[in-house]
Amino acid sequence: MLVSYLILSIIPLIIMGYIANKNLRDTGLQAVLRAEEMGSHNLQAAEYIGKTSIADSVVALDRKSTEAIELRTVELAARIADFLYERDKDLRVLASIKPDSRHYLDIYRLSNRDVIDTERPPVTDTNKADSPIMTSSNPENRDAWRHLPPCPARKLSRPLYKEITFIDLQGREKIKIAGGKISGNLLDVSRKENTYCRAENYFTHLKKLHKGEIYVSRVIGEQLKGWLYNTPEGIKISPESSYAGRENPSGKKFAGIIRWGTPVYNEKNEKAGYVTLALDHTHIMEFTDHVSPTEERFTILSDGGSGNYAFIWDNEARCISHARDFFICGFNPQTGKAVPGWLSEQTYNEYKKSGLTLEEFVEQLPSFSNFTQVKSASIEQIKSGFIPLDCRVLDNAPQCQGWHEGTEDGGSGSFLILWSGLWKLTTYSAIPYYTGDYGKSKRGFGYVTIGANVDDFHRDANITRANIEKSLREQGRKIISENNKTRELIKENASTNRLLFILIAVMACLAVISISLLLSLTITRPLRQLTHGAVEISRGNYEQSIRVKSQDEIGQLAKSFNEMAKTVSEVDKMKSDFVTTASHELRTPIQAMLLGISGILEGYSGKIDGEVREDLELAKTGIERLMNLISNLLDLSRIEAQKIEFTVSQVSLAEIIDRAIAEVSDLAQKHRHTIVKYVPADIPDIEADHDRMIQVIINLLSNSIKYSPDGGKIIIRAGEKEGKTVLTVIDNGYGIPSWAKEEVFKKFFQADNIMSHKVGGSGLGLTIAKGIVENHGGYIYCESPVPEGEFPELPLGGERKGAIFVIEFPTVHNPRT
Amino acid sequence: MKIRKILIVDDEQIILSYLEKKFTKLDYSVYLAGDGEEAVKQAFLNNPDIILLDIKLPKLNGIDVCKKLKADERTKNIPILILSARAQASEIEIGIAAGADKYLCKPMSFPDILSEIRAYDNK
Repeated sequence: MLVSYLILSIIPLIIMGYIANKNLRDTGLQAVLRAEEMGSHNLQAAEYIGKTSIADSVVALDRKSTEAIELRTVELAARIADFLYERDKDLRVLASIKPDSRHYLDIYRLSNRDVIDTERPPVTDTNKADSPIMTSSNPENRDAWRHLPPCPARKLSRPLYKEITFIDLQGREKIKIAGGKISGNLLDVSRKENTYCRAENYFTHLKKLHKGEIYVSRVIGEQLKGWLYNTPEGIKISPESSYAGRENPSGKKFAGIIRWGTPVYNEKNEKAGYVTLALDHTHIMEFTDHVSPTEERFTILSDGGSGNYAFIWDNEARCISHARDFFICGFNPQTGKAVPGWLSEQTYNEYKKSGLTLEEFVEQLPSFSNFTQVKSASIEQIKSGFIPLDCRVLDNAPQCQGWHEGTEDGGSGSFLILWSGLWKLTTYSAIPYYTGDYGKSKRGFGYVTIGANVDDFHRDANITRANIEKSLREQGRKIISENNKTRELIKENASTNRLLFILIAVMACLAVISISLLLSLTITRPLRQLTHGAVEISRGNYEQSIRVKSQDEIGQLAKSFNEMAKTVSEVDKMKSDFVTTASHELRTPIQAMLLGISGILEGYSGKIDGEVREDLELAKTGIERLMNLISNLLDLSRIEAQKIEFTVSQVSLAEIIDRAIAEVSDLAQKHRHTIVKYVPADIPDIEADHDRMIQVIINLLSNSIKYSPDGGKIIIRAGEKEGKTVLTVIDNGYGIPSWAKEEVFKKFFQADNIMSHKVGGSGLGLTIAKGIVENHGGYIYCESPVPEGEFPELPLGGERKGAIFVIEFPTVHNPRT
Repeated sequence: MKIRKILIVDDEQIILSYLEKKFTKLDYSVYLAGDGEEAVKQAFLNNPDIILLDIKLPKLNGIDVCKKLKADERTKNIPILILSARAQASEIEIGIAAGADKYLCKPMSFPDILSEIRAYDNK
C-alpha cells in the first residue's frame, strides 16, 4: 500500500514538473522568438521610418535648400542689376557735367569698390582662436544660438572703371582717364582696331542714341586659354591654364569691360559728344566668384572642382563669369573676333565637314539644338585651349537650355541635373537690368546660375541617415544580443528549474515517505493492532485492549475497540456465566426429577403396576434426554468458545475404540447393528484428551446406529496415512445427500427429510465431535454414499447407501513398541 | 462394616427431604445439613459413616467442608462423596484434591446414588 501510495503521489508530481518545465522553456523560447520577431519588425519599421523620414526630410531639406539657393540666386541677380543701374546713374551724372578731364579724373578716383584679395592670405585675428562667441550672455537668447564671424578675406579697393572717356561726335576721344590718370593716348574709337581687344563697336551704337538714352555693351575681354583633363578623381586643370580659382590660383584672370555710353548735351541742348564708362568686369565677376552654395557661404578662391559655384551668363547665353576664367566668352584681341564656343565632338565633326570657318559655322548653328549629355565635348577644342562656354551651342550641356528657357520670362527657378556623375542642383535667376539692348527681352542683362552638389545638401540628411542606420544597426545588434542573452537566461532558468523540480520531487518523495511512515505509525500500526485484537476476539480471547495514544480518530477507534472488546468480553463472560449457571441451575431440578422417578421405578417408593411403570419410563427417558441435551449444549458452548479443557495424554486408539464400542453396545443391540473393528496392533498412540476422544467415537457410532435401518453393519477402522493417524467409521445406513455433507456437522442438523421418523438425540453429536477433533488440531469429514466395492463386507443397496466418516490427526507418535 | 449413618449435605431442600425419606425407609440413619457450617457441625457431632456432599453451599462451600473434615482427626476417615452439579474436569480435580473420595455428577438417579453408597459398605 505504501509503495502504491508512493508511486501514485510521485508520478503525477514528476509528470507535472516535467511538463511545467518544458512548458516554461517552450514559452520562454517562444517569447524570445516573438521578441526577436518583434525586434526585427521594430527594426524594420524603424529602418523604414528612418528611410522614409530621411527621404522626406531630404525632400524637405532639398526644397528648403533649393529655396534658399534660389533665393540667393535671385538676390544676387537683383544686386547685380542694382549695381548695373548704379552705373547708369554714374553715366548720367557724368553726362550732366561739362566734360572736363579734371572732373572726370575726380570721378574716376572716387569710383572705387572693394574686391576680395585672393593673393594675400586672409585676415587672421591673433585672438581668433578664443574669440568665437559661443553663446549669448543672456540666457533667454541661448536657444539655437548660431553665430558666424564675418568673412575673413582681405579686401582691396579697386577702381570701378578702367576708362572714362569723352568722345566727340566723330568718335574721337577727347578726354580719357585710364590707368588712374589722365591719359594722353586719345584714339579714334570709330575704328574697331582702336578699341579694347579690337572688338568694340560702341560708337556705331552711340550715334543712334537720343538724349538720355544709354548704350551698354556686352562683356568684352581677351579669351583666356585653358586646359582640362579628366582623371578618375575628376576634372583637372593644367597648371599653365588660366586662373581657375583654387585649381590654379596663380593663373591669369579674365580682364573684361562693359562699356556704357550716352550723348552729352551742351547748354544749348546740342549734342556735344558722348561720354563712356568702361566698367572693370572684375566687379561683376566679384558678385559670383566668391559665392559658395555650401555652409561656408563664401569662398575666397572660387573652386571649379567643387562643383559648387555661381556663374553669370549674358542675355545671349554667353558665360561672362565663372570659377574658371577660361570658360568666359572672350575675343581674339588680334582679330577682334569673338572666340567660338565649345562644341560637342559630334557638332565639331560637322563643323569640320562643313568647310566653314569655326566662327562662321558657329554663327549659323541653330541655338539649343539636340542638347544632351550623351554627347561628349570636343577634344580638339580642348587641345586648342579655347573653350569658352557659349550656352547657345554648348550642346553637351543641356542645363544651358534649361537656364535659357527658364529665364525667358525674367523669372527664376532650379532643376537637377546629373553632371559628371554627380547630381547637381542648378538654380537660375534673370538679372533684371533692362538698359539699352538689355531691355530687348525680359531676360534683361542675363542670368545668374548657381550649381550645388546635391550631396552637399544632403550631407546633413546623409549624416542623419548614416546616424540612423548606425543606430539601427546598433539596435539590431543589441536586440540580437539581448535575445541571445534571454535565450541563455531561459536555458539557464530551465535547467535551474529542472534542478528545482528534481529537488522538489526528491523532497516530495521524502515527504511522502515520511508521511507514509507517519501513517504507518499513527494509522497502520493501530489498524494492525485493531485487526490483531479483532482476530483474537474472534478466536475467543476476549481480553483485548489497545493502547490509546492519541485523541484523533485513530484514538477514538482504539477506544471504541477497547470498549467493544470489553463488552464482548463481558458478554462472553455473561454467556459463560449463564452457561455455567444454567448448567448448575438446570441440573438441580433435573436431579430432583430424576431422584423421584428413578426411585419410583426402582421400587423404592412402593410397588407400581406396569402402566405406571411405562408412563414413568417415558418421564425418565425425557429426563435423560433433557440431561443429555443440556450436557451437549454446555459442551458445545464450551467447545465453540474454545474454553473446553482438555486433559491431553497419550491415548491408545485401541483402548478408546473398545471403550466407545462398549458404551454404545446396548444401543446397537437394540437396533440389531453389528459393529466391527479393525485396529492394527502397532497403531501409534495419539496425544489427546482420553475421555473426549471416547466421546467423539461414541458420537460417530451413535450417529451411524441412528441413521441406519435396523440390522446394519458398522465398521470402525484405525490406520495411518501420509503421516497422519486416521480413524474411519463406515456404515450402511441411509447415507448423506451431497448437499448435506457439510451441514451434518452443524448444530441441530437432523436430516428430517432423509428419515421418515425422528431419531433421538440432540443433533449435536457430530457438531461436538467436530469441535473436539478440530480442537485437537485434527480434521473430520464425511463421504456418502459408500463407493461400490470399497468395503465389500458391507452390504449396500436400496436405501442402504452408507456413509463414511473420517477423522485425521496430524500428530503421530512413535509407535509403541 | 455396613454403612448405617449418612450425612447428606445439600442446599436444596427437596433433595434433602427426598433422600432422607428414601434412605430412612431403607433403615439408614440420615443426618441433614443445609449449609457448610452445619455440615461440619453435624459431622463432628454425629460421626456419620459416609457423607454426601454438595459443593454449592451457603456459609461454607463444599470444598472447604471437605478439606476441613479431611484435615480433622475425628473425621478424616469418613468417606466423602461429592455430589455436585459442577461437572467440569477442573472442578472434579478440585474436589478430588480437596480430599473427596469420589466425585459424582448431578443429576444422578437414586438407585445410582444408593449403589455408590453401598459400594462403601465393606470399607
